[in-house]
Amino acid sequence: MKNFISGRGFRVFAFVAIVALFVLAPLVSTPFLNYQLSLIAVFGVAILGLNIIMGYGGQVSLGQSAFLGLGAYVAAYGIMHDWPILVVFILSCAIPAVVGMLIALAAARLHGLALAMITIALPIVGVPLAKRFSEFTGGAQGATVSWLRAPDWSGLASDQWRYYVVFIIAAVFFVIGRNLTKGRIGRALAIVKTNEAVAMSMGVSAYRYKVLAFTVASLFGGAAGFLYVAIVQFTSPETMSFHSSINMVVAMVIGGSASIIGTILGAAYLVFLPVIAGQIDPTQTALISGAVLLAVLFLLPHGLVSLPRRVSQLSKRSKRSLGRPTEDSSPQNSTAQEVVDIPESPK
Amino acid sequence: MAYFIQLIVEGFATGSIYGALALAIVLVNRSTGMINFAQGAMAVLATFVAYALTQTGVPLILAIVVAFAFAFVTGALIERVVVRRFEGGDPDTAVVVTIGLLILLTGISAAWFGYEPHPFPSLFPAGSIDIFGVFISIRSLGTIVILLIAMLLLQLLFRVTKIGLAMRAVADNPQSASLSGLPVSLLLMIGWGLAAALGSVAGVLVAPQLFISPAMLDFALVYALAAAILGGIDSPIGAVVAAWTIGIVENLAGAYIDFIGYDLKIAVPFVMVMVILIVKPQGLFGRKVVVRV
Repeated sequence: MKNFISGRGFRVFAFVAIVALFVLAPLVSTPFLNYQLSLIAVFGVAILGLNIIMGYGGQVSLGQSAFLGLGAYVAAYGIMHDWPILVVFILSCAIPAVVGMLIALAAARLHGLALAMITIALPIVGVPLAKRFSEFTGGAQGATVSWLRAPDWSGLASDQWRYYVVFIIAAVFFVIGRNLTKGRIGRALAIVKTNEAVAMSMGVSAYRYKVLAFTVASLFGGAAGFLYVAIVQFTSPETMSFHSSINMVVAMVIGGSASIIGTILGAAYLVFLPVIAGQIDPTQTALISGAVLLAVLFLLPHGLVSLPRRVSQLSKRSKRSLGRPTEDSSPQNSTAQEVVDIPESPK
Repeated sequence: MAYFIQLIVEGFATGSIYGALALAIVLVNRSTGMINFAQGAMAVLATFVAYALTQTGVPLILAIVVAFAFAFVTGALIERVVVRRFEGGDPDTAVVVTIGLLILLTGISAAWFGYEPHPFPSLFPAGSIDIFGVFISIRSLGTIVILLIAMLLLQLLFRVTKIGLAMRAVADNPQSASLSGLPVSLLLMIGWGLAAALGSVAGVLVAPQLFISPAMLDFALVYALAAAILGGIDSPIGAVVAAWTIGIVENLAGAYIDFIGYDLKIAVPFVMVMVILIVKPQGLFGRKVVVRV
């Protein structure tokens, strides 16, 4: 049983179960729930992009919402001007990707905090810019569109139709994301994340792969923006706000960084937390969200996706001895533990 | 010309508020190597303590002193209980931990007083003084003076006192410090406590102007981060100079460059920071860090 939970079989099973759930859900659920589930697909794509740069690539990015917002504005502008839908889609992926690449070309030399600073600046500069260029963006009121109604032959309601469109596009992006991270690029990013000097000695240009990861992340962000407009039919400067970025980072960590299933869990968390917390007490959403994040960081450093592994690990350990339950056996964390323990030693 | 000088003095005053937060961020970074995104939220919570006390009739000065003490204790506790586990670990995780603290502390403030802004009494009388035809508000002057005093005290603490020396030793090399018998754990707690108290100076100074609300310092925090990184994250003087520069440039650009105006002036410091970082990644006053493989 334990092997089953932590093994490959479980992951495949979980994946199939999640896919089946997503395919069948809209036929039986309410429009409200369909809307929420579609949002999971939307933010799933955005968080997957964030995960590629931050989880797999190890570069802090606090600016993902800027790319989501940019993609959403491009999509809304194209739709309002009746451009062909394929052109709109390609542009709302390509423009954020190009912007992301230009920023990365300059910023990828920077490390940690400086990079975090530059990426924070994107949504903070983006929001007033969006308000300023109101002929493109609709200003502070935002841009409302009305499109993507269900065609008559499908027999579906619009919310169901939109759900399937968004779900299929998101699924394609997840397959792309999975292949990127499992293949050569994924391995290169992993070594860049661990040690750039080692990467260089192996002929992997850290700079080039960081730029690539950042570009891919921006492209995914832009695509998520297109999907966002498809579902919400509206975008405003709020879409690219700094808080939206932070929430995506939080969701990514809670779901599990450097993990595809973790990305989906994170997106589900991002969408459902306000709904659930709103039923308890809307003013306490932030309180609950912060507490959950810290609890996850303490108990499940690798996110919700590591829950099965963690449970089996703990049950194994509790049979052996009653050690400290929060220690982790992965090599990265054990070095962290050693350093962390130093301040306590003089006692 | 008088208008120009007024703009500069106001820029100095807002820069001083960013500077107080930036100093707190530098202090935390020097002692634990982290960037504390929760610095602003901690300050807001402390300011709310002062607000709650003034609501019950406690004199403002006393309420502020209590708030500083509260900030010190909370900061120290947060370091010991939450942050300690993640020190020296993966820096990305550390960033996310402080973001978690930011959300949690904002949530506590919001659960306590809600999201609506409340008026907060000012330390300084309203009005302005006339210096050779330039009207400068007492509030601006007071803000600048308080930041200068805070900086001076901090310098004295680090340069003159024994505890400051010990804190510098811990920041420099925690292992050696603990081997020479310094109470490293306690010193780290003091570092975070001091930073929290310093940050709440910014909270108390800005609250009368912005009205107090849980998100009051969000923007100031980002400016303070920009200042800390621009000034070189390990240089207190650099952080304050950068904070002043940001305050002044923001004010002048907003007033004199038509395209920028009031709404885009927030973007100016960031574009500046981006350009400077790309040209000089270690910041204006920072030391270049050479990593040994």
